[in-house]
Amino acid sequence: MTTFRNKKITEALTGYLFVAPWLFIFFTFSVFSLGYALYLSFTKYNLLSPPVWWGLGSYQRVLTDDLFWQKALPNTFKYVLIVVPLQTLVSLILAFAMDQKLRARKLFRTIFYLPSVTSSVVISLIFVWLFAPQGVFNQIFGLTINWLDNVNTAFYVIMGMNIFTTSGTLMLIFLSGLQDIPTTLYEAAEIDGADKLQTFMYITVPMLRPILFFVITVSVIGCFQVFDQIFVMTSGGPLDSTTTITYLIYKWAFRDTTVKMGQASALSVVLALIIIAVTFIQRRVIEGSGSTTE
Amino acid sequence: MAATSPSSRNRSSREQLIDGWERIKAPVFYTLLTVWGIICLTPLYFTLVFSLKPIENAYTPPLWLPTPFTFANYQTVFSSFDLFPRWLLNSTIIAVVVTILRVLFCAMAGYAFARIEFPFKKFLFNALLISMMMPGVVTLIPKFLIIGPGFIRGGIHLGELTIPTGFGLIDKLGGVILPSVVDAFGVFMMTQFYKSFPKELEEAATMDGSSRIGTFFRVVLPISQTQLITLALLTFQGEWNRFMEPLLILRSPENFTLPIGLQWFRGEYYTLYSVILAGSLFNTLPILILFFLFQRYFIQSIATTGSKEG
Amino acid sequence: MKSQFKILSLLFIAAFLLAACGTPAAVAPIKETQIVTVKETQIVEVAATQTEVRLSGWASSPSETALLESLLYRFSVENPGITVKYEPITGDYKQALLTAIAAGTEPDLYYMDIAWWQEFAKNDVILPVDDLMSASGVKNEDFIPSLIDAFKFDGKTYGIPKDFNTLGLFYNKDLFDKAGLDYPTDDWTWDDLKTAAEKTTDLTDATKPIYGICAAADPGRFPIFVFQNGGTVMNADFTDTTLDSDEAIAAAQYYTDFRANKTGAAPADVGEGWQGTVFGKGQCAMVYEGGWLISYMRDQFPGTKYGVVIPPAGPAGEGNLIFTVAWGISKNTKNPEAAWKVVDFLTNEASQTTVLQSGFALPTRISLQANEYFTNNPNSAAIFNGALNNAQPFFWGSVGSDVNDQMGKALERVYKENQPVADALKQAATAVREALAAQ
Repeated sequence: MTTFRNKKITEALTGYLFVAPWLFIFFTFSVFSLGYALYLSFTKYNLLSPPVWWGLGSYQRVLTDDLFWQKALPNTFKYVLIVVPLQTLVSLILAFAMDQKLRARKLFRTIFYLPSVTSSVVISLIFVWLFAPQGVFNQIFGLTINWLDNVNTAFYVIMGMNIFTTSGTLMLIFLSGLQDIPTTLYEAAEIDGADKLQTFMYITVPMLRPILFFVITVSVIGCFQVFDQIFVMTSGGPLDSTTTITYLIYKWAFRDTTVKMGQASALSVVLALIIIAVTFIQRRVIEGSGSTTE
Repeated sequence: MAATSPSSRNRSSREQLIDGWERIKAPVFYTLLTVWGIICLTPLYFTLVFSLKPIENAYTPPLWLPTPFTFANYQTVFSSFDLFPRWLLNSTIIAVVVTILRVLFCAMAGYAFARIEFPFKKFLFNALLISMMMPGVVTLIPKFLIIGPGFIRGGIHLGELTIPTGFGLIDKLGGVILPSVVDAFGVFMMTQFYKSFPKELEEAATMDGSSRIGTFFRVVLPISQTQLITLALLTFQGEWNRFMEPLLILRSPENFTLPIGLQWFRGEYYTLYSVILAGSLFNTLPILILFFLFQRYFIQSIATTGSKEG
Repeated sequence: MKSQFKILSLLFIAAFLLAACGTPAAVAPIKETQIVTVKETQIVEVAATQTEVRLSGWASSPSETALLESLLYRFSVENPGITVKYEPITGDYKQALLTAIAAGTEPDLYYMDIAWWQEFAKNDVILPVDDLMSASGVKNEDFIPSLIDAFKFDGKTYGIPKDFNTLGLFYNKDLFDKAGLDYPTDDWTWDDLKTAAEKTTDLTDATKPIYGICAAADPGRFPIFVFQNGGTVMNADFTDTTLDSDEAIAAAQYYTDFRANKTGAAPADVGEGWQGTVFGKGQCAMVYEGGWLISYMRDQFPGTKYGVVIPPAGPAGEGNLIFTVAWGISKNTKNPEAAWKVVDFLTNEASQTTVLQSGFALPTRISLQANEYFTNNPNSAAIFNGALNNAQPFFWGSVGSDVNDQMGKALERVYKENQPVADALKQAATAVREALAAQ
């Protein structure tokens, strides 16, 4: 009896020992920062003078803001709904391709990883150049659309750019996951007469479930917070067609002449709540019956 | 393929489709891969071209060949600032230290979440997920306060003792390293990786009387080499390119990291891209080389109990 | 595989070798002045106790940084008891500065841009310098009035302007020759501009269209047309906007008509992000830009022949915008006198003359108006003289960012959605008033 209790206690202590470094950083940085941001969301704060308590004033401002409802919110959702599936699919296919026995596999992998490693400044420049009115893309397809200047198309260029940039990183993660699937499973499937498609559907994908959950969760979180490319390329334009929630937060915090840090914090809290809701819904969908995140 | 010969039974249309697919699969596959490969190479190629042309010829045709050719932009990058080698050193120190520590700590935490039972595990894991969901813009200031002056200026006074509420690491490399030493993304990733590991190997070790800690270091870590390398590569790349936090924390030019130093070439009103791109290429090189070198870890799968995938 | 690895490692080694034994880049000969960096060694007696002053600003190019550092070096020779620590911010300046102020770790002196500095004064974050000025014999009258007044609040001076810029009309000499036109002069009017734009437009080559003027939807350009038409952007105390006034609407009509009549274009129409590049490539004959274009052309497009004149006058006369930056001293500084000494030194006549001669920036002291640099560099002279012709600071009060946003969006709507000019500006004015009400 006591040995079992002791074992459980040892187990628990070992668990906490292993988690200790993360727990320390989590408490000192994450918890405090989140708490502070939450506190700021109930204040009016211009960074130059101390914060002033304002109750729900900042939230009111956020929830009655035209830019939020008309542009930031719908744009952000549009972005997530389009980019997450495409991103996951593209990198999954790439990883699967790179897992096959191919010639020049190593070379291909390095090349496919390049977009994730190239500085976003460069990729932004290239994309601006490629999609210019007289640029290569239009020349190939015989079009004259000004992709980045057009209210209807600019956002899609940004999406394409993001999918392109993250494909390498996600491919790498999926590749690691694929490496873990024991060959014995594949051999057994072959003996049972399964074809490649069946193998992919019934062995590869299910074995990848935990990694898939990881990639999709991280993609959702990342896409809800998309900021960098918009900051570098369009500054939310043209005419706010590429303004996302995070860009709006940044604008209120650091771009406006009168800093609206309270509003920015309130919007951050709103965004966090949205992401939490979406993630936990998504978890239900992917997990299905078996829970892999106990 | 199936053991029965094709002629000995009716071939379903599905099998015919699959046969046809098998035949054209290879060329289609290779074509798609090559096309995507060219698309991936394009940005790097143009960076190279731009950086090898003199500034005043950046916009003169041909735009896709570096003629006239010059190394002047690279020379400008290296020699404009005496501190360039120092920046390189700072970036390397930060990236290496953070990578080593982060891989270790994330693996430990990931293993714990995946395999060890301890109270409040589920709550902590959810807290971990939630910590990733707050946009960074607003958390910059509290993080800055903790790394540096502390959220109560002057510290908490208890009689003669003054308890600092911040680490006081402004303008030191440690201030950049400390907050990055573990991160939720890494822990989450390792958790999911360890979840999909076969349990037999660990169970065999515990049967032999090894403690959890021993099992972890002697069995689990070596098996998860590929995943650790993945995390290491991503961490190194992330730390090498990180800009926002080092910009706020590091003040003296001699403590700058390479990305911050390279931004010094940006003009106030306009940008001379030739030099910037030369710098960014140099910034990219270490990661590419590392990635290429560590490719061999992605060919062998050590967790499998069968043959190598070669 | 092995050979690929070898090639890659060779590349890496080569890169490091280059880094290790990089020789100083040769200085390309420039027509106006030659900048030579010289390292001096001097034995200086250093006082036992050093006062440290932290100085910060956004980072500009390596050569401008070298200029600032040479001035700081000169300062340290003359003031051995004061150490100046230069801490440039190479990224988002405002974000870094605001974070430092919020945390109480801001530098002792730093750049303040005309557009957003007043919030700092209102929130008591910077020091008024009137007393420090009178103690060292520096007078407001030494500086160009429009510049020093721009940094006054509540009757007190809060910053010494370090340099400034205005807009000039840049014109491409080759394109004017091709069209057989006389070059623009300082006496030009809106009508002259319109005619010249029509005559220099050449759209015959579809792959390389040449427009008369580049007219971006830029709130940093459009307002001068409003001034030249006798209007304003905001009222006198910045409590209301006048963007929907008849003068502003007429000015916007004139400005956007260039593109409507295909005698002008926005940069995006020719696939560029900035007017300056369009001008450099020779795809527009004229453009309104600041003195920075002079440095840009010298570096990026040295072959293009161009000239600069003051912007043409409108129906109500001349008008221009002033872009300027001042030194601000933090309220929390522990060494206000030392900090002031640095500011004073960096903006005194000797330092400003050095900066002027280097061609990087224009001085803010009236005494330098007659400097020979301007005789030798008529382009810079045109930019300098812009400050003396009804130039107003690029400042719109505490909703300045909203005003700029709305101006830009109004012009964009006219360009992209063909919204009538009057409606566009009325919509902008309404939005600005909403922002004002929310203050």
